Amino acid sequence: MASHPPSDGWIGASLKRKEDARFLYGHGKYIADVRMPGVQDVAFVRSQVANGRLRSVTKPEGGSANVFTLADLQPLTVLEAGPELPQHKLSPYPPLADERVRYVGQGIAACLAPTRAIAEDLADRVTVDIEQLPAVVDCVAAMQPGSPRVFDHWADNAYITSNVVEGSPQVLTSAPVRVRRQFRMNRQATVSLECRGVLAYWDHRTNELVVYLSTQGGHVKRIGLSRILGLPENQVRVIAPDVGGGFGGKNRLMPEDVAVAAIAMKVGHPVRWIEDRREHLIASVHARDHTYDLTLSADKDGTLLGVEGDIYIDAGAYALWPTGAFQEASMASRNLTGPYRIRHLNLKTYTVATNKAPMGPYRGVARPGACFAIERLVDEMARELGREPFDLRRQNIVTAAELPYDTAAGMRLDTGDYVEALDTARDMVDLAAIRKRQAEGEPDGRAIGVGFAFYTEQSGHGTAEFAKRKFRVIPGYESANARMLPDGSVIIHVGVQNHGQGHETSLAQIAAHELTIHPDRISIRYGDTATSPMGFGSFASRSIVFAGGAVAHSCRALVEKIRKIGAHLLQTDVANTRLQGGAVHGPSGKVDLAEIAFVANARQEQLPTGMAPLLEAVGTYEPTVSGGVFAYGTHAVVVAVDPDSGVVELLDYAVAEDCGTMINPLIVDGQVQGGIAQGIGTALYEEIPFDELGQPLATTFGDYMVPCAPEIPDVRLAHLVSPAHATEYGVKGLGEGGAIAPPAAIANAVADAFRDIGARFNETPLTPRRVSEAIDRARREKGAA
Amino acid sequence: MKITLTLNGSKVTHDVEPRETLADFVRDRCGLTATHLGCEHGACGACTVVLDGEVTRACLMLAVMCDGRTVETLEGFRNHPAMEVIRKHFHECHGLQCGFCTPGMLLMARDILARKPGCDADTVRYELSGQICRCTGYSGIVKSIVSAGQELAGKAPAKA
Amino acid sequence: MKSAPFDYVRPESVAEASALLAQDGVTTAAIAGGQSLIPMLSLRAAQADLLVDVSRLDELKAVRETPQALHIGALTTHAAIEDGKIPDPFNGLMRRVASTISYRAVRNHGTIGGSVALADPAADWPGCLMALGATVHIAGPGGTRQQPVVDFVKGLYETTLASGEIVIGFDVPRPTSPLCWGFAKVVRKSGAFANSIAIVVAPGKGGPITAVLSAAGPRPIALANAARALGNGAMSDDTLRTAIAADLKADLPGADAYEQRLHTATVLRAAREMQATS
Repeated sequence: MASHPPSDGWIGASLKRKEDARFLYGHGKYIADVRMPGVQDVAFVRSQVANGRLRSVTKPEGGSANVFTLADLQPLTVLEAGPELPQHKLSPYPPLADERVRYVGQGIAACLAPTRAIAEDLADRVTVDIEQLPAVVDCVAAMQPGSPRVFDHWADNAYITSNVVEGSPQVLTSAPVRVRRQFRMNRQATVSLECRGVLAYWDHRTNELVVYLSTQGGHVKRIGLSRILGLPENQVRVIAPDVGGGFGGKNRLMPEDVAVAAIAMKVGHPVRWIEDRREHLIASVHARDHTYDLTLSADKDGTLLGVEGDIYIDAGAYALWPTGAFQEASMASRNLTGPYRIRHLNLKTYTVATNKAPMGPYRGVARPGACFAIERLVDEMARELGREPFDLRRQNIVTAAELPYDTAAGMRLDTGDYVEALDTARDMVDLAAIRKRQAEGEPDGRAIGVGFAFYTEQSGHGTAEFAKRKFRVIPGYESANARMLPDGSVIIHVGVQNHGQGHETSLAQIAAHELTIHPDRISIRYGDTATSPMGFGSFASRSIVFAGGAVAHSCRALVEKIRKIGAHLLQTDVANTRLQGGAVHGPSGKVDLAEIAFVANARQEQLPTGMAPLLEAVGTYEPTVSGGVFAYGTHAVVVAVDPDSGVVELLDYAVAEDCGTMINPLIVDGQVQGGIAQGIGTALYEEIPFDELGQPLATTFGDYMVPCAPEIPDVRLAHLVSPAHATEYGVKGLGEGGAIAPPAAIANAVADAFRDIGARFNETPLTPRRVSEAIDRARREKGAA
Repeated sequence: MKITLTLNGSKVTHDVEPRETLADFVRDRCGLTATHLGCEHGACGACTVVLDGEVTRACLMLAVMCDGRTVETLEGFRNHPAMEVIRKHFHECHGLQCGFCTPGMLLMARDILARKPGCDADTVRYELSGQICRCTGYSGIVKSIVSAGQELAGKAPAKA
Repeated sequence: MKSAPFDYVRPESVAEASALLAQDGVTTAAIAGGQSLIPMLSLRAAQADLLVDVSRLDELKAVRETPQALHIGALTTHAAIEDGKIPDPFNGLMRRVASTISYRAVRNHGTIGGSVALADPAADWPGCLMALGATVHIAGPGGTRQQPVVDFVKGLYETTLASGEIVIGFDVPRPTSPLCWGFAKVVRKSGAFANSIAIVVAPGKGGPITAVLSAAGPRPIALANAARALGNGAMSDDTLRTAIAADLKADLPGADAYEQRLHTATVLRAAREMQATS
């Protein structure tokens, strides 16, 4: 177990971010800002039908040399993707369509021209002949026997199904109180403000393919590109410039990445594709799209017993390399018990292929759906029992004394005080005052509601966890290469990919803590496979745990050598030295790091006999517990709802959260606030609906609602700090937590506002129409009853 | 067709296609990449520039329409006193994460504070309508603008 | 997301612009602020062979006050109205409406003439100008003409503008006494296209009341029953709801139950706001 020095000095400092300056002066360099002489732009011809046989692609006269179809990209090796399980059906996903198109937006041909506008002109002149086939649009109907198939040779439309049975199903069927509800969390896009993009060229000097990619992790993309293109990895270099947000949407190898790289190998100049917003909404990574049919069981005293039912994941038309969307089902089912003492599970999960864009990860992965389902069910159960939902929650939540607690589905909730988080959030919104206000009624005819949701956020999970999930690439460690230069300044290359999380600051704080120097003397570098050590990138709330740990370990290796050199220069034994304030101190004096660094790098004759020069160390790190550490928190929301228009206003939003030790509280707050804004998007605004032909109906920001400042309240935050035992400094990852609970908390609040009529708000986003219709339905049912 | 306009204080002349937006013009013809493209249909604000003194979506303006006019991008505000104050508060209040929305936010912030000096948080939130930030949840941005506004209006700066 | 190619010309006069727009065999479009047209071109949802830039024509910029009316030039931007840069004989109604249109950067360039000429059903100005009894001035190859806005806007993106015709501006009659008004708008998010817009105006105590509902059907709808009920001093929600229901049944027969509730709510809100100021 790692030691936990107290959080003093740089650990826990709200240091202003080191990366800010370049962005504030417009010097950020994103993929579309990379200037490469001779570059030509790609525009894609994309399928306009959801399912069809591609009969022919006719290239325009005079332009055919600049139009590429799949045949023109060969040789390629299409990679198997998804979990390495024999029962998982394969869905080969070529970078451009073969004889079949399976979703609206799938790439069919790539058109190359000196500018994007001219490339689009060329694309407009390409003729595509497709025989349209019935589309598979609804993932539940897709599992009915008569459904059309996404893949003709599959026995049914499920990529994979699974059963999660824990405890005794018998207990569930005979439980005294059973509440059954259906929930839907609709499909949405990930919407990084910078869309995706790729620029590739063959560098003749280094004899390698250089691929600039807006990605969350270049090393893993290099593995994929190397295999699909048939190039050795020492001839593929992936460079991520500044990345304008990712949120999961830039963490899979995408067909455009492959197509552009393949074209670059055919032509003698750089080739790039910059995704536009319409392409992003139609054909980039889609997310959420969960359907639940669940029954929550309880004793009459409110003791929650278990959950049974079905979980459907609409995974779209293909599995994205490497892992597709196949953690969704297992994470949704395994997280379904949330923080509660629920010991019995009987769940069946279906991960279903449909004629929609492939699903990928998005901040929170599966847990927003699971949290929505269980937290809505807890509220519904409370109403069934005539209890205050908050009290039922508190009755069933795992207490601090019970931690660490092994959930029914085998997750070990580690440290914290869940009851305190609940109570803190309750007091922040003043539950009693809201109940009083509700009793008095609103002068404007709106209804007030209060809702709570509790989330846990697994982070820092390592080898065992991802091996259990049968990942093709196991992101079980991170690495850091720490190098002290002759003047004592430090460059640390890491394998994670900063794309807004502030790694240049927080990782520098960790190094500063270990090396006892100012963070200004430390540069954190990343985003180039040619210079960064192997790593997996930034996702799954993993960077501060893994990369933070790797930075600590690499720095400690430096410190060990620094002390030896210092001891030698001070003519004392290393045991008599300590590193403090940027100098090695001995009984008779001190020697500065700059002097030691200069000796190590450039005056090696002063080194101890036999010691190799340089101050450079690669550290790798995995937490001591492979199943992860759990951040958690309670979201409490107060809403006002106009029943006629269905418009929901967020009057108050409070969070009590615990992510263990905070390296930089300023950055932590930013992550929580940002996650909540995305969660509010899921809860109230963002959706890509499809018609029965499989046409996506939100293809611009005119239809796809991304919340802006007026839609997002100023969230009040309270931090509990329960350090993890299994990580360096006691940190827990926290990037996703903010996005998990808002749909549940907001839906609970809206339901609370209409608790007297039992209106059901079980589908996100809670659009004005859905809200008003749910109220109207409940009123009519109550009137009829 | 040939156009001449004043860009960040200098006269520039280029031969452009009529279909070129002002955003593509400043980025690709003039190499000024602080102006970002987030949606290209006027809904995100990442391409915000200043045209004849007014904040403008550069993706909703044709370069040819700017012939003879004055355009300023964030690069033109390098030493601008008010912008320096706004930058300082964005830095102190964690008003940015990935940085992609930031140039547009800064230019919008300056415009808001010029029109409504020292305005409160609710006003700032409303005025930021149509400026998408996907990272911060807007909290840091609103705080940055409010506190910058207080400093610029000569009030006691808000605590970061 | 780049436009298909087109030609561009910036004429010096309305007559020249009109002649350019009226060319045979060429798809032409007038561009003023461009805030609606340019995204449509970029999405390649609209295409034109020739854009005629009318944005610098002085004749379209004139703002004049007469004892009877305010003339608002077609090129007047939403922001200019929002900021009170043109006279405001309407007790703040137009300023309020302008301030809710799209986003500030769009309001800086989007024009009232362009908004009405486009006749987007979700737009604010057609309904507002209808409620205020405005008349549109049009110039074309055959000379100039005037038409009440209520007749000018015919349907979904459809007006009486003929080939070569350009909107010059609007005459908006001055209210005889301080205008009482109410404005209610429901949007999915701030600045988004509206789902329902209601404007209720009364030119002072006892004046004839007008109620207009926009963003509900293909064109703005004058709500005769609701206006009459309000004019008769209807104060109870139930009376007003009944009147609005009659209007919706007559003028918006396709509205489903939710749309009826939504539009009823906005009209009610606008009516209450109007009554509160009268």
